[in-house]
Amino acid sequence: MISVRDVYKRYRTDHGAGKWVLQGVSFSIPANTNVGLVGRNGAGKSTLLRLIGGVDHPTKGSVERHCRVSWPMGFGGGLQGSLTGRQNAKFVCRVHGHEHDIPERLDAIQAFAEIDDAFDEPVKNYSSGMRSRLQFALSLAFDFDVYISDEVTAAGDAAFRKKALQAFKGLANRAGLIMVSHGEATLRQFCSAGIWLNDGQAHWFDDIDDALKAYKESQKL
Amino acid sequence: MGKHRSSINITLSVWKALFLRESVHRLFSSRAAWLWLLLEPMVHVVFLMFLFGVVSLRVIGGIEAAVWIMLGLLAFFMFRRTGTQGMHAVASNQALFSYRQVKPVDTVLSRAALEGFLMVLVTLVLCLGAALVGLDVIPANPLAVLEAFFGLWLVGLGFGLITSVAQHLVPELGKFVGLLMTPLYFLSGVMVPMHVVPAPYREWLMLNPLAHGVEAVRLGFAPHYQAVPELSIGYLYVSALIGVFFGLALHVHFSMRLATK
Repeated sequence: MISVRDVYKRYRTDHGAGKWVLQGVSFSIPANTNVGLVGRNGAGKSTLLRLIGGVDHPTKGSVERHCRVSWPMGFGGGLQGSLTGRQNAKFVCRVHGHEHDIPERLDAIQAFAEIDDAFDEPVKNYSSGMRSRLQFALSLAFDFDVYISDEVTAAGDAAFRKKALQAFKGLANRAGLIMVSHGEATLRQFCSAGIWLNDGQAHWFDDIDDALKAYKESQKL
Repeated sequence: MGKHRSSINITLSVWKALFLRESVHRLFSSRAAWLWLLLEPMVHVVFLMFLFGVVSLRVIGGIEAAVWIMLGLLAFFMFRRTGTQGMHAVASNQALFSYRQVKPVDTVLSRAALEGFLMVLVTLVLCLGAALVGLDVIPANPLAVLEAFFGLWLVGLGFGLITSVAQHLVPELGKFVGLLMTPLYFLSGVMVPMHVVPAPYREWLMLNPLAHGVEAVRLGFAPHYQAVPELSIGYLYVSALIGVFFGLALHVHFSMRLATK
């Protein structure tokens, strides 16, 4: 269960405080619910994901997580360029309190990411595809109650995408999911509920189809 | 993962992870990076010994000039390395703040801990080397030496905590702090003995806590060393603790802005 209470968010820019991205957003997400976030570019979807993931803090209001929530998957961050994939993976294991079974998790990560020997190369030498494979494999290595995903299904080449999609389905069945995607089919496939972000407000829909409908209608005007 | 982890539990595992990761980065990031850790103070020592040899200064304040220089440099480096590594900790670990468990202050603390640990090793190795060439480097009062080194480390930690925030808020400050390091080197009694400075000016110089730490290290090694009369280990610790608390307060206040770009 995640509750977002009256959240306001604006960023600091070089010219002082920026405009409000979110203005009084409130909702709560029950356990094991898959939610899709829709809205036009710049509506604050990624901002909201970061707030839910605890990576950023609201300017006003509060976000409460009563379960284990993943870090926002699919962001460029989280990997240190000068260290190898293995060292990065070890770090993430330790941070998440998995000191005792690091070798097993490393094996799983290496196997899923299919990056073989590159696992022991510095991450800065990776191609963008390899990076996102590693990031995806990292997030799969831990059992979270809720996964936060920002367009992760679009990572890697065709073969990997298929595999990732498969893994993602398994994930969506056993845990909750909060995702942003511009692919309508992806959202319909994974999500039951939807949140439509518009003008700093969030509108909750119990059915993702209704959220998509509301979003599309707003675009026609 | 199963059960809920307590905050202290999470913080401890973050510190451990950061410490290990920083040590890999510090020691193996470039070719023979670990060698430079040792060579830098060594080059300084040799260069200064050469300078002092030119003016044929053999004894300073009752102890051998070579030992005097080496101890002063090691003491100063304890502060400088801890401080500058801490200063850049937040900026170079920006990628890690996408894991909400990692707070900016954790990166400064773990870097400072690593740097202090490495400086202890460097000090031991250099003292061993000096002993091999016949210099008298067995500390007469090891506890006093540790106390002085720890005080200098604390000053470095406070410096790192404060500057890591300051540099994030005003990036130009980073350059300014870099400029500040060289005069500090001269003003802390590392290469110019404090006791040759006449009275009214010496009191001003002794406002610098580093000067106290540097002299205290030498005094700990040789009790017959003629340290400056103003020397006060209490002053070193009080200023260090003020720095650390001020730095921690800054980190608490600006933690949100530090974690996001």
